[in-house]
Amino acid sequence: MVKVKVFATLRNIVGKNELEIQADTVGELLEKLYSKYPEMKKELEKGVIILVNGKNIEHLEKLDTKLKDGDVVSIFPPVGGG
Amino acid sequence: MFGYIGKILRVNLTTGEIKTEELKEEDAKNFIGGRGLATKILLEEIDPKIDPFSPENKLIFATGPLTGTTAPTGGRYMVVTKSPLTGFIASSNSGGFFGPELKAAGYDFLIIEGKADHPVYISIKDDDVEIKDASHLWGKRVSETTDKLLEEFGDKKARVACIGPAGEKLVRFASIMNDKHRAAGRSGVGAVMGSKNLKAVVVRGTKKVEVADKEKFMSVVKEKIKKIKENPITGGGLPNYGTAVLVNIINENGLYPTNNFQTGVFPYAYEQSGEALAAKYLVRNQACFACPIGCGRVTYHPAVGVTEGPEYESIWAFGADCGINDLASIVIANHLCDELGLDTISTGTTIAAAMELYEKGIIKQEELGDAPPLRFGNTETLHYYIEKIAKREGFGDKLAEGSYRLAESYGHPEYSMSVKKQELPAYDPRGAEGHGINYATSNRGGCHVRGYMISPEILGVPVKLDPHDVSEEKAKWVKIFQDLTAVIDSAGLCLFTSFALGAEDYADLLNAATGFDFTADEWLKAGERVWNIERIFNLKAGLIPEKDDTLPKRFLEEPMPEGPNKGHVVRLHELLPKYYKARGWDEKGYPTEEKLKELGLDKYY
Repeated sequence: MVKVKVFATLRNIVGKNELEIQADTVGELLEKLYSKYPEMKKELEKGVIILVNGKNIEHLEKLDTKLKDGDVVSIFPPVGGG
Repeated sequence: MFGYIGKILRVNLTTGEIKTEELKEEDAKNFIGGRGLATKILLEEIDPKIDPFSPENKLIFATGPLTGTTAPTGGRYMVVTKSPLTGFIASSNSGGFFGPELKAAGYDFLIIEGKADHPVYISIKDDDVEIKDASHLWGKRVSETTDKLLEEFGDKKARVACIGPAGEKLVRFASIMNDKHRAAGRSGVGAVMGSKNLKAVVVRGTKKVEVADKEKFMSVVKEKIKKIKENPITGGGLPNYGTAVLVNIINENGLYPTNNFQTGVFPYAYEQSGEALAAKYLVRNQACFACPIGCGRVTYHPAVGVTEGPEYESIWAFGADCGINDLASIVIANHLCDELGLDTISTGTTIAAAMELYEKGIIKQEELGDAPPLRFGNTETLHYYIEKIAKREGFGDKLAEGSYRLAESYGHPEYSMSVKKQELPAYDPRGAEGHGINYATSNRGGCHVRGYMISPEILGVPVKLDPHDVSEEKAKWVKIFQDLTAVIDSAGLCLFTSFALGAEDYADLLNAATGFDFTADEWLKAGERVWNIERIFNLKAGLIPEKDDTLPKRFLEEPMPEGPNKGHVVRLHELLPKYYKARGWDEKGYPTEEKLKELGLDKYY
């Protein structure tokens, strides 16, 4: 199982801060999340930041990034500040 | 002139002379306004080597051509002076409503010279400008000062920028506060104001800013507001959660500095996140002048009543950096700083440095006497020393000098997390190396808003750059971010627009307002000119690139101990030469004659 942490507006959609899901890649994980929470897909249409163990998948294998038991995936809608 | 009023107000506090001068169009074209043009004026009028607290230093309140217009976020102004914290150029940006009011009174710039022989304030009602006695306000906190001045002024629509007790006591990181809670926070601009015995500026104006092409300007403004509203950051994350929406993402990425930057992961980040702030203390959003984003937080806590903030940086400075997880204590600390007129980043980071010095046995309890121990995580300590800093009482007097002078006085400058003696903000550069180069080269010292590389390196905007890439490409991006930021600051807009807008958008707004008709590249070139004239000021003030364009030893030699960036340091030696090259400077970091000629700055250096 992979631990998924969601943030900002995604928390209202999922109704909690963390959940556990079985998936082999980030792409598969997202598909599972989107089918369970269709609103999440809509919320992330304009962009998404996904980290696997704190590393941005953009600099790993993107949606093909492999997942293994115990990995932590953090999902954010686009955010900024400073 | 359009966009600009075309007038400078000059007040000499030594002689009492008040006069107005024309703003030259050529200067506006070359340096835009605000930060850029004020630096040019300062460089021409003062010797950069002077003591920042001497009457020879000048304090410039500077608006840009878009300040006071309907351009989205057109409410910003800058305070430019020589910094008593860094000894280099200071240019602190603030929002709220003060800047537009100064312009409505008929002035692009207010230049303050000399030193009054007793506490005074400057009262501006359009053309009617007076220097008035402020003895009854000396020692008063920011909200009381503001309320009293508005009452005396007799017009509730007036706007006040003032200092608190910290500025009066020449705390080296004292802020200037306008509209009570908006801060020209960094580099000690409030201390320079205090050194001139100037408590406040009150202003009320009834004029309108004229733009070159009214219809065109209106349609451009409408289009840019739409972009900002539709952007998920400026239209969603920021209005919903404020700047503190960053707490979780920066922590999850492993660069949320904890315990004076000893690590980049704080286990209690969620308790001080924007999400938690919204759930616990948020009353409503607050927007500055002409702002469609509205990231400001009006909050309530029983200990302080209705207040504003805290922002991301302040939450971090009093939170993770001091090892504190209790959000209520952070809200109170932030409120205290607003009231006392202290920069939250430097205050928190200086206390954090003192905590590390204490825990390492370098500062001893005997020296503190009965005062609380400087231990990480101790909220009582935090509030106690904030008050003491502002009044320069007891150990607070040492802290009021800033973390560098504090740590150096014990022979351990390496525990000061600062660049050019100014405290660093809420991103550990070991997790974003381009941001590290921005820290090392920022003209006002340790600062995130001269070239916010967190945006491409962590947030993926406008491009996704690997935070650990140290290629020439990265160095070029640092330069572009720095130059574009100089344009935004000089124009009078808020940096947060840059999450949604690009160089072309700013060119559209500036052209329609001023009628100058420059390309985006030409505006960026003006930004580069601003960056270089700041560099010239610093070099003339005594900056030595080899010694000053650097980072605390911790980031260069101590690998990040845990989290996603475990094992990383900042490869400054690799990236810095590439940055100098991207700037067209020589390998030692000095602008070349060729570059200065290209920018028309050769007569200055």
